[in-house]
Amino acid sequence: MATLEELQARIQRLDDIKQIEQLQKIYGYYMDYGEWQKLVDLFADNDPSVEEADRGVYKGKEGVRRYYIDLLGGVPGKVPRPGWLSIMFQLQGVISLDVGATTAKGRWYGMGMEAKPTTSLHEGELRQTWISGVYENEYVKEDSKWKIKKLHFNLTFRTPFEDGWLKVPVVGQTGPDSKILPDEPPTAYSPYPSGFHLPVSFKHPITGK
Amino acid sequence: MTLELLEAEVTRLEDMQEIEDLEKKYGYYFDTRRVKDVLDLFSENTESVEIESHGQYLGKDGVRRMYMVGVGGEAETALKDIVARREKSSGAGFNVITQLQGVVTIGSNGKTAKGRWQAWLAESFPFAGTFGQYWLHGYYENEFAKENGTWLFTKLFWNTTFFTRYETGWLVQPIVGFLPMPNPDNPPTAFHPYPSGYHFPYSFPHPVTGEVEVPVFRYVHPMAT
Repeated sequence: MATLEELQARIQRLDDIKQIEQLQKIYGYYMDYGEWQKLVDLFADNDPSVEEADRGVYKGKEGVRRYYIDLLGGVPGKVPRPGWLSIMFQLQGVISLDVGATTAKGRWYGMGMEAKPTTSLHEGELRQTWISGVYENEYVKEDSKWKIKKLHFNLTFRTPFEDGWLKVPVVGQTGPDSKILPDEPPTAYSPYPSGFHLPVSFKHPITGK
Repeated sequence: MTLELLEAEVTRLEDMQEIEDLEKKYGYYFDTRRVKDVLDLFSENTESVEIESHGQYLGKDGVRRMYMVGVGGEAETALKDIVARREKSSGAGFNVITQLQGVVTIGSNGKTAKGRWQAWLAESFPFAGTFGQYWLHGYYENEFAKENGTWLFTKLFWNTTFFTRYETGWLVQPIVGFLPMPNPDNPPTAFHPYPSGYHFPYSFPHPVTGEVEVPVFRYVHPMAT
């Protein structure tokens, strides 16, 4: 029979996993509505980073702020364009967390439906698209709260509703922004049909490898 | 930590799991037209149920009228007939209402809870005289109560984002049409589909800042932009 302390540690781990899962799901809900400041506040204060698709890596809390507020948001307080739609399901989370640990990793599928401009010039015409990709994220417990340490969304496809991923795997990706520069270039951008598999953070549940 | 505090922690985790399962089972029952089983997931003290543009139904009797008379198409007394006919049906009319991304917040008393989900639907049913195949999306904000050790729905609200044809898509045709019911207690309370930009308030506090959202009516009429 485990001691009370051991039981407490095991229950704490289950609670931590639940909190991390909710953190990632709430990240998704805030992304859907373009809640840029709320998103920045989900990230760790100490050395966070964010990378999505081919936009490059934004580092530090200031980099995270530049990514969400300046780049995705436009400028602080900018009203979203009418018809802008962003829905990204946060699916199939697997959280890897040891008993007593204050860092964790998680893999998720992002799958969704959008209506966004797909060219950078003139903000472009709105297109309806299906989007799919994989997250490999890291989390840290700071001040007794779980926060996002590293967010990496690796795009598999973003295809026009009318075409499909086989015909047109990707629209609307034009590389890192030319004004709001990332700190590092994209690390693993290779959408369908490259066959690239983003490495998994979890261990095989049976073999442990 | 004392045994009492440990028990409270375990209970909270079990409660969250039970509520997540309850919501998922609701989806499976609804998809398979098990309307009586859907009804039994709701508390006798249910406040309201509202989905799509059907209107708002109040109380447990409202739940019965929504799912039995409305979606079920029959009075409760004809349940056996409904089941028998479903078994013989062609299967052409169907719905897959996925229950995704649940975030459950247990109340401080441990007896009530709120949760947000989103649903992504594939459906086919006759509308405007012909069978169509549809994509739908929307967010749930639901409420629950623990009664005699069991979690039940006390409020269910699914707020539609779009209801579009497979052939056209949400940008081209956000709403195929309205699906009013004949007998709601109130008209739809917040039916503002895409592209209104309507923001369906969150039940959860911000996980880091703790900020609790004050519901704001964020609808913007397209002509006003």
